[in-house]
Amino acid sequence: MSLASCSTSVKTAPSLGVFKQNQRDAALSGNGENLAIIVDQQGRATVQVQDLRQGKFLPTRHLNRYQAHGSPSLSWTGRYLAVIIQRNNRREVIIEDRTKGRLHRIQLPINRDPIRVSLSPDARQIAIQSSIQGKWRVEVFDLRQKIDADVVPGREALPSASQ
Amino acid sequence: MRRNLKIRLNKSIFFIYFPLLLILGGCNQGGSIQPLNGLNGMLLTSSNSRKEPDLERNWLVTLSNSNGKEKIELINLRTRKAIPIPGVNRPDAQPLSVSISANGERMAIIRQRANQIELLLYRRRLGTLQQLELKRKGIPRKVSLDGKGRVLAVQVSRDGLWETDLFRLSN
Repeated sequence: MSLASCSTSVKTAPSLGVFKQNQRDAALSGNGENLAIIVDQQGRATVQVQDLRQGKFLPTRHLNRYQAHGSPSLSWTGRYLAVIIQRNNRREVIIEDRTKGRLHRIQLPINRDPIRVSLSPDARQIAIQSSIQGKWRVEVFDLRQKIDADVVPGREALPSASQ
Repeated sequence: MRRNLKIRLNKSIFFIYFPLLLILGGCNQGGSIQPLNGLNGMLLTSSNSRKEPDLERNWLVTLSNSNGKEKIELINLRTRKAIPIPGVNRPDAQPLSVSISANGERMAIIRQRANQIELLLYRRRLGTLQQLELKRKGIPRKVSLDGKGRVLAVQVSRDGLWETDLFRLSN
């Protein structure tokens, strides 16, 4: 499969594949080498991380025992995986450090019902969309006192951009 | 005798509880996180509601709603100001999903316009918005762009199932 464009200036791109299971909320790691998805397995939503280069699933030490609600998000190398889980009729945000095998539970301010999360590539910050009194709200939180940074290549490794 | 019993009891408590504490401590790191109050205040007051965040080191892109109209908003985290993205938001289109590259240069967008769901790639420096087409028919619903803006994952609805299409984008 390829990605074609209406514009002639966009070249046809080679496909990396199609995942045919019933799955949702695909999220790439910053380096594009890992993919996190929510897969419905016999009515139970679980989060999976796949190494796209080797095509194999990567282990998540803690997340298999939780009912994944959705919105996985990976840091640059895929070391950190943030996801919303369902626990005791409540939605919670957790972050698994896949390198150290640790689970970090994120304690949100009261009255926050998390809907979506997005980790920054270096895992220094996390953006959380919550429902507060029926309104969507996005807040950004600092994680520096909670987890180590993920390794992100320097600016020279990324295509340049200007404001 | 009583002293020996006390020592033995203390040892038992130690050997039972210490590994338990280690396990709990190693697996479940609690604690609160620090809100970025200045930025969050701006995010709160600058729109009626906001959703679908995609966070990069220096950029945050969201779908914001003001006066009942939803639009894509790109925020420079250093200046805490919205950056102009000419051509991205149209009065006749509703954005559904957005994802940005790490340097804020490329944005993958899904939007609904005139009963059509469009998959688009925006190049900010060039100011171009290009429509991308899935080769196999489906309805795109969510996008995820990698940090370099080169790999794109698209959640697609086909025959009542969600699938994920992966593509490598050209320069």
